Amino acid sequence: MRSVLAFSESPALAAEVAAGAATICESLGGGFAVIAVSSETPSPSNFEAVADAIVEVAKREGAQVVLLGATRLGRQVAARIAVKTSQGVLSDVRDLRVESSGGAAAMLTGVRPVFAGKFNAKVASVLPCVATIPSGAYAPQGASASSTQPPATVEIAMGPKAPERVKHIETRPKPKNTVDLKSAEVIVSAGRGFKNKEDLVLVENLAEALGGVVGASRPLSSDLGWLGEERHIGLTGIYVRPSLYIAVGISGQLQHVAGIKDSKIIVAINKDKQAPIFQVADYGIVGDLYLVVPALLKAIETQKAS
Amino acid sequence: MSGKAPLRIIVCLKHAVDESELRVDASGHPILQGAQARMSAFDRNAVEEGVSIKEKAGGTVTALSLGTEDVRKSIKEALAMGCDRAILVNSSKYLDALATSYYLARAVQRAAPYDLMICSEGASDTYDGLVGPMLAQWLDLPFMGYVRRTELRGDGSLQCELAMEESVEVVEARFPSVISVVSEINSPRYPTLLQIMQASKKPIEEFPLDSLAPGPGEAAAPEAAVRVLDTTAQSMSRKKILFEGSPEESASKLLEALKSEGVL
Ligand SMILES: Cc1cc2nc3c(=O)[nH]c(=O)nc-3n(C[C@H](O)[C@H](O)[C@H](O)COP(=O)(O)OP(=O)(O)OC[C@H]3O[C@@H](n4cnc5c(N)ncnc54)[C@H](O)[C@@H]3O)c2cc1C
Repeated sequence: MRSVLAFSESPALAAEVAAGAATICESLGGGFAVIAVSSETPSPSNFEAVADAIVEVAKREGAQVVLLGATRLGRQVAARIAVKTSQGVLSDVRDLRVESSGGAAAMLTGVRPVFAGKFNAKVASVLPCVATIPSGAYAPQGASASSTQPPATVEIAMGPKAPERVKHIETRPKPKNTVDLKSAEVIVSAGRGFKNKEDLVLVENLAEALGGVVGASRPLSSDLGWLGEERHIGLTGIYVRPSLYIAVGISGQLQHVAGIKDSKIIVAINKDKQAPIFQVADYGIVGDLYLVVPALLKAIETQKAS
Repeated sequence: MSGKAPLRIIVCLKHAVDESELRVDASGHPILQGAQARMSAFDRNAVEEGVSIKEKAGGTVTALSLGTEDVRKSIKEALAMGCDRAILVNSSKYLDALATSYYLARAVQRAAPYDLMICSEGASDTYDGLVGPMLAQWLDLPFMGYVRRTELRGDGSLQCELAMEESVEVVEARFPSVISVVSEINSPRYPTLLQIMQASKKPIEEFPLDSLAPGPGEAAAPEAAVRVLDTTAQSMSRKKILFEGSPEESASKLLEALKSEGVL
């Protein structure tokens, strides 16, 4: 039996993981995809039980690859499966395929960003193995159309409830995603060039004037918490692809730029002419954002009026 | 252990290539030979957390790293930040996350006893986030990942706030345990000149990789199953047109440009 087992606890990623599994099956030459579902919601307290249950199903189904979503929990599940089965893990991979060259054993290969997205690495693991895919790696609709066989669904059976080593105390839900950065056409992002949280009204107004939404560099959304984490763009946040991306007071470190590369047009506003963001921008305004953004707002208004 | 006993903390750190300094050769490959390296950015948060827990609760912090002699540079930084001692697992062999975490676990076992292992959320070069949870699995210990706040409980356990995508989860586990921390947990300190000088007197123990290999009757060490076949520069060509006039001039020039690009 040659199969690929797909699982993600994230509803948003589950369909993409299933599509990825179907694609790998094709290159396996006649494999079939198995979608694992769990009746219990995987959490930081029970991820070990989830991993163990996946190992059981993978064994039974003769899985060559266990494919997971590269979420924070998904990485932990991958780690446990790998140690339990002594298998390699390919992280954050796209373009997955099974390749064999010159009589050597078949390998799963994929492409992933390394060195903060400055480079892509082609990585390979001996089979069987585990792989995690980022959001956006596979279009969900491609799955059923291309696969030779519709994927089977199995429920993973969590073993008898063992006392959890990591005790759950409390869940504090984050405010529901009010913004959809992934499909936004215009994004205006704020960085540490802003001196106060209150000043962010400047990017909010600019985004509104352009019919766009507000994004953030990691320090603003994570460390300072001035903007919600759902707005965190970059290597460790969201990858965006708007027609117009405007970076305001963002230096343009590799990790941030990794998330905006697919933008059609990139604009940067920064007072430091040497800021790396200007190297990856189509248009840049060298100047103080506290003067430039109001000037932009005024110009847009004048234009709208005429 | 009781809540009052001094804590034995181990912080894992990686000496990683500084991606911002990494050069590209004519064929688009990174020039790794002689590339600058430094402590992986988020590992400084792990060191800071270990040292600040020690300052609150008492105990010792051991910095643990695996690699070549170069790694001493990052280890010394960790010692200057307040770690008490260090262990260097000497290896010039290519190891993947599974094999790396295996040898780190063997080193931890040799350095036992211990209460808390701290890793970061991911290394600056690959950002896999695997070594921390794998280490916990090899040692068969509870793992709490993406910790943004820690709180010592009196009963020999650690309570943590985990920064997950959709929620903050508050969880608790008894020592010994393994955690990985996110960067927003703290601001790493900058050691003083005196601390940097004192760090050179702190002991660095060496564990050659071979000395950590499994003995007869033990399960075999994992082979590196994952290989890097090729690494190529991501290309991105942009127009790089700069406006440097008055804010008003620049603003209207930008709007014109965006209109002709068809994005307004
Ligand atoms: C493993 C790893 C993963 C990471 N992942 C991410 C990620 O996903 N996303 C992310 O964003 N970061 C990420 N980072 C952090 C990243 O390296 C940078 O630290 C971060 O992007 C910097 O944010 P910033 O540009 O807002 O701040 P800074 O780098 O501090 O830049 C502020 C900029 O504002 C300019 N400025 C200041 N005042 C003004 C003014 N009045 N007018 C105009 N300009 C002004 C300055 O010239 C400067 O260029 C990651 C780091 C690591 C190590």
